[in-house]
Amino acid sequence: MNPVLAIVAPFLAAFTIPLFFVFRKKWVGTAVILFGVLSALTALFVAAGGEAVTVMGGWQPEVGIALVVDSLTTAFLILASLGFSASLSAAAETFGYGPWRFYVLFFLSWAATNGIILTGDLFNLFVFFEIFSVAAYLVVAYPPRSWQAIEAGFKYLIFGTVGALFLLIGIAYAFMATGQLNMAILARVLPRAPEATLSVVIGCLVVGLFIKSGTVPGHFWLPDAHSSAQTPVSALLSGVFVKVSLYALIRLAFLLFGSADDRVFFVLLLFGTVTLCLGHLMAFQQEDIKRLLAYSTVAQVGTIVIAIGCASSGGVTAAVYHAFNHMAAKMGLFLVSGVLAEDRASRDIAQMGGLFRHRPLFVLAFCLFAASIAGIPPLNGFMSKWFLLVAAAERGALIPAAAVVAGTVLSAAYYLRPITAFFGPAETEPPHHRPHPVTGAIVALLALLCLVLALAPYIGPLKEGLLAVGRDTVNGARYIERVLR
Amino acid sequence: MRVHRNLQRLGALGLSLALGWWLWQGVTISPFQGITGPAARYIHGTARDTGAANVVAAILFDYRGFDTLGEASVIYTTVCGVALLFAKRRYRRSSHGLSFIVKRGMALLVPFILLYASSIIVMGHLSPGGGFQGGAVMATVTVLFCVIYGSSFEAARVSPKVKETIESSGALLFTAIGLIGLVTGGAFLTNSAAGFPRGMMGHLVSGGTIPLLNIAVGMKVGAGLSTLFYSMVKILEDPTESSPPEV
Amino acid sequence: MLPISYGTAIVVFCIGLYTILSKRNLFKTVIGLSLMEGGVLMLITSSGYVPGGVPALLPFAGGEPVNPLPHSFTLTAIVIGAADVALALAFIIKIHRRYGTVDIDKIRGLRG
Repeated sequence: MNPVLAIVAPFLAAFTIPLFFVFRKKWVGTAVILFGVLSALTALFVAAGGEAVTVMGGWQPEVGIALVVDSLTTAFLILASLGFSASLSAAAETFGYGPWRFYVLFFLSWAATNGIILTGDLFNLFVFFEIFSVAAYLVVAYPPRSWQAIEAGFKYLIFGTVGALFLLIGIAYAFMATGQLNMAILARVLPRAPEATLSVVIGCLVVGLFIKSGTVPGHFWLPDAHSSAQTPVSALLSGVFVKVSLYALIRLAFLLFGSADDRVFFVLLLFGTVTLCLGHLMAFQQEDIKRLLAYSTVAQVGTIVIAIGCASSGGVTAAVYHAFNHMAAKMGLFLVSGVLAEDRASRDIAQMGGLFRHRPLFVLAFCLFAASIAGIPPLNGFMSKWFLLVAAAERGALIPAAAVVAGTVLSAAYYLRPITAFFGPAETEPPHHRPHPVTGAIVALLALLCLVLALAPYIGPLKEGLLAVGRDTVNGARYIERVLR
Repeated sequence: MRVHRNLQRLGALGLSLALGWWLWQGVTISPFQGITGPAARYIHGTARDTGAANVVAAILFDYRGFDTLGEASVIYTTVCGVALLFAKRRYRRSSHGLSFIVKRGMALLVPFILLYASSIIVMGHLSPGGGFQGGAVMATVTVLFCVIYGSSFEAARVSPKVKETIESSGALLFTAIGLIGLVTGGAFLTNSAAGFPRGMMGHLVSGGTIPLLNIAVGMKVGAGLSTLFYSMVKILEDPTESSPPEV
Repeated sequence: MLPISYGTAIVVFCIGLYTILSKRNLFKTVIGLSLMEGGVLMLITSSGYVPGGVPALLPFAGGEPVNPLPHSFTLTAIVIGAADVALALAFIIKIHRRYGTVDIDKIRGLRG
């Protein structure tokens, strides 16, 4: 299947939903579901189709815009379609189909996400990042009645735009120095640029991606955006949106930066460690359950950045594996805490008492996800952290490795607080009890996914796939050859 | 407090200066040795490959047409989002507009503005211009209506749903042309290789898909910017929301 | 000539960044974003400069054309920047409705 269809299918959804609203209002719901299924299936088919390179307009890769499918792309396409489908189902249950504009934005962000993952052209990457970001600011600000959401959306917009401009100036410098934009060709010619130019290109791109992904100097927007958004959106933000920027970081780091300057990986290790420590320490102090989860996301971003900074195939494998684990567990955590906070009509951890008797299954799922994120041994979070520790030890990065271990202890400590509250006594019965069948089903599926991921290192094809992602990604020459063949 | 602010400003100044110095060090100015890379191909191949006379339009709509789809989608996203932010408010009549003379004068002007906008759109492959520029000019007509007749006039004549339909149809047209290229030419947005006629360079019908894509983008941008403007105007005139703030 | 235009672009970019970092008024923040964007666009456009170049419209009358690729990037980036600014202003309108001010210090959610 042509990779471009993975981008076009959600675009078509976004462009047709308004027409359905104008002409056949009753069909909007059906259209949203059908397009959701269609987009997810297209992306999965593209991912299953194996490696492919296609150039828009039928030109050579140098002249047109290339879309590249390789193992890293495949992994992230699968991650994105799982995350978006889960969030779409949860959103359909929470919001209904009345706010059709929300779904337009949702599908636009889906298209842009697939675009970022597939594209092999630096400027096209920027364009898709912009669609993605603009849609992200708006889904964070949904519904426009909630003032915190508007403020968080605005804050995200300012940070995101500054990040985008840093990306753009980095791309401009790369273009000035080489006259090329295709990432494969740039990987070949960029190392020949003067040292000062190279440092500007790499520096600006890294700063831009740090801000977009919420790594430390640019993390201020992340907790606000994650905690103020609606539950399905928070799940999507943590599960997919943050990972997309990290995907771009992995891709560019190994294709453009790594070949040009090895010091960039040291910077990644450094900032990853700082992000990890700061995220865990801040999460420790939160009283609001969604802010706690948001700061925990900051910490996990740091973990993945450390994994990228290991600059080895093991590191990339750990990063991708951890991205999957974090997606499954954190989406589950956000969905569960959304349901529980709705029952209590409060997000304050101290008020969460007695919820175990109220909704036992949801609370048990919360415990499973929390254990997975914290990295309790047989679970998936432990497995990916183990991969990461091995990669870090091979690299000789002992301080980041120690930080990861310490972070595990800390996160176990702060996840225990909501859990003890859930099992603790209640002063009053929770006022709300709305059934959440769809969310419940998604949470169950995500829990199952966590268990499957925990077994991934023992299942032959999955393990092989994860290792292949690391091997292929580190090998920039192979990518270049496949694109320019 | 004041010391804190001044320190913050000093820090910002230092950071900006350092950044500027760093960026300045990175500028490479080599003596000009001819255009290389893809740009050379665009300059020398446009006539042969696409049949368009405007090289920039050929890049925007043919060689790198996918970027343009993305760029038009950014506008689409913004329009949709602003409409979402300011949803569920009715248009109100703000004023009765300006005097009779201005209204008549406007009536004389409108056909010419529309003609100018259409010419910018359909001649985008021949001269500087194109869908974005022409669409923006077209949107100024609706802005002029608002200024001269008051904001409710336009909403009474052109329902927001019509604009919504035009905008989405433009976007769908762009995607459909791309998919035709995929089916007949083997790649998304294929132009002449997919059988679209190249025509004679410099004629109105030339450049294959480029004029069609310009029209699609023109629809999208014209209707989109108009929606954007009216979404913002209607909230500014809504007296119900300007209740005193309680922080 | 070229160094001056690159220098101007960088100066404009840095003024924009300084504006965002130091000003407390939301409108000035958005102005800063526009300035930064303008700086980047000037930088991109300058990189397409060709001594004695003519516009990239066929047939090239009397000389070598300038590099058309930066022009198309600039067009794309202008549209994207305009969309960003429109959205930022829409957010500011909403925030102003709520708080009656555009001063960051007085808006609870944007502090820190």
